Amino acid sequence: MRRLPVYLLLDTSGSMYGEPIQALNNALSGMINTLRSDPQALDSLWISIITFDREVKELVPLTELVNFQLPEIVCPQSGPTNMGEALMLLSKTVKANMRTGTEDQKGDWKPLLFIMTDGSPSDIALFREAVPVIKAVNFGAIIACAAGPKSKDQFLKEITPNVVHLDTADSLTLKSFFKWVSDTIENGNKSVGVAEELTLPTPPSEVHLVI
Amino acid sequence: MDKTTVYLNSLFLSNNLPVTDKRKELFEAFAGDEHNRELVNIILQNQKKMVTDWKIKNRIEDIKQQPFMIPNATVGKAYTAVIDFEKNNWTDFSFYQLDHLDAVGGINYDRDSKTISGIPENSGEYKLSLKYRLSEEPEGSELHEKIIPFIINPDPKSLWKNIPSDQADEYWKEDTTTASGRIANKHIVVASKRGRSHANAGSFRDDDFAFTDLGNTGWSIVVVADGAGSAKISRQGSRLACEYIIDHFKNVLSGEMHRKLESLILSNQAESNDAIKKELNLCIYNLIGGGAKRVHDRLLDFATAKGYTITDLNSTFIFTLFKPFDFGTAVLSFGVGDCPIAVIPKDFSEVKLMNWLDVGEFGGGTRFITTTEIFSSPKFASRINFKVFPDFLYMFLMTDGIYDPKFVVEANLEKVEKWKEFVEDLKGNNDAGTAVELSATNEHIEQQLSDWMDFWSPGNHDDRTLAIVF
Repeated sequence: MRRLPVYLLLDTSGSMYGEPIQALNNALSGMINTLRSDPQALDSLWISIITFDREVKELVPLTELVNFQLPEIVCPQSGPTNMGEALMLLSKTVKANMRTGTEDQKGDWKPLLFIMTDGSPSDIALFREAVPVIKAVNFGAIIACAAGPKSKDQFLKEITPNVVHLDTADSLTLKSFFKWVSDTIENGNKSVGVAEELTLPTPPSEVHLVI
Repeated sequence: MDKTTVYLNSLFLSNNLPVTDKRKELFEAFAGDEHNRELVNIILQNQKKMVTDWKIKNRIEDIKQQPFMIPNATVGKAYTAVIDFEKNNWTDFSFYQLDHLDAVGGINYDRDSKTISGIPENSGEYKLSLKYRLSEEPEGSELHEKIIPFIINPDPKSLWKNIPSDQADEYWKEDTTTASGRIANKHIVVASKRGRSHANAGSFRDDDFAFTDLGNTGWSIVVVADGAGSAKISRQGSRLACEYIIDHFKNVLSGEMHRKLESLILSNQAESNDAIKKELNLCIYNLIGGGAKRVHDRLLDFATAKGYTITDLNSTFIFTLFKPFDFGTAVLSFGVGDCPIAVIPKDFSEVKLMNWLDVGEFGGGTRFITTTEIFSSPKFASRINFKVFPDFLYMFLMTDGIYDPKFVVEANLEKVEKWKEFVEDLKGNNDAGTAVELSATNEHIEQQLSDWMDFWSPGNHDDRTLAIVF
């Protein structure tokens, strides 16, 4: 069966401490529930979560949606945002997981990547090194989300043209963002497999596309 | 020293009242006093109790925080999970019970084997409650609770909706269509069905097919096309591709071209040499390759006239042109995309694939009749094929909606045993028990094929089209 791998790269740095991380947990759980009721997603979706703060962690290795269990995402009270290191780990992970088509196995659909941050990378040098590495990975689409007033769109713009901005990282906004993420994944599930770019569904009013 | 003396000594010391030598006798009398001894005893007992209680509190909190998950289940699918008390270090339970399983329905817990098993009836995110008492706690004391999340996936089959497609759409086509009849000296049955993924979204069938005898030339054509899911009006692309190729051969396969093709086939059969072969190849190249190019060009014209781009019509495309002669059946073919054409000889000793498949490194990396580059590619000639069969048992043309679930990978198409399984499957050797009786007199053949094509295969919900010449 062809897999659609989806990678979620989530900022868990100090600034997420408190309400934002609660909101993130709720929103993710809602998203997983939505996907679970989509027959196509149940058939093909594989999800991985990588978190980054001072430490970069593969919180959930690439797991079939049917077997997926969302752990509680926690974050330290303070500390840097090592997004560059996270991108480096991600590129290695994606390559290690990738199944290409061979004589006796179906290749994966092109993986999708969602990045969410409420700040900007602390490891800027490594971040700059990671940008071309990530771009070289054959993603079907990369969607980056800058959440909250302190997040910087321009760094994300270096990774992908698909950048969205959330004014706040509160429960309602994150919920509506992740609803949109699941729509995008479901959309991807229907149209994957073609060379062209994935078309993004219209985002809800809380999610501003950054042009 | 007894425990009262030890306790009082350290108590006074910690209160900055060390017992001096001068007061030693007084202290001994104080420590020996029955009332004081009783007080110390109560203090020590209370301390001991508090230490135990604190330990228990800690242990309970540890258990609460301890990550513990049981694997997810799926409605209607047999489930077993063992709770390993040793591995989880839960050997200090003096009593436990597992509650809230009845909410799931169909699932039970067996205490002897410590196994949760059954066939779940309801989907959802359940919270099982493991209630326990630690061995250090008194009998009858209140139980503690550990929540165990239990995720039951819905049965994917129950989630698919069947939303009719919009009949008012300019390029609407029927969700299911079947056809059968005589073709050349054989019979044919074809069914084309909208995939569950399209039915779920109320979108259109993108596959198409057509077949016909080409006038009195003795040649017949079967064509199958699969519109790309991502292209705007690929359902029209596949329909037009089928229509255009038939138009084309109706026009060109007469007169001079027809005479030339037949005489070359006949001379090649009688006495094959390089010169004849070369001329025959060229003739076939022009006829078949020219036909494919004509289809491409007309699709481009259509797209332009309607304000679309040609890629909006993206469709894979396979066809065979065949004619029975007294020495056997000549089969000419063309293919672009990932749909196979297979011919099975009378004795079923082998399978002959007429085309190679455009499969990319990643899923879906295919090419289409609308991909202009294919015509200038050095591989273009290899899309065209010509074979003579003494006779054949079956000729199959199918879209990837059939090939993906039934053959999975390209390599299996080469294996005759896989085709034998496939034919057995058609004859009813399958989970659903649906059978197609491939006989010219079978009045229900179209319905049978259509029913057979509803087979369930996880992850394979594309449109399905299968043409069988027998």
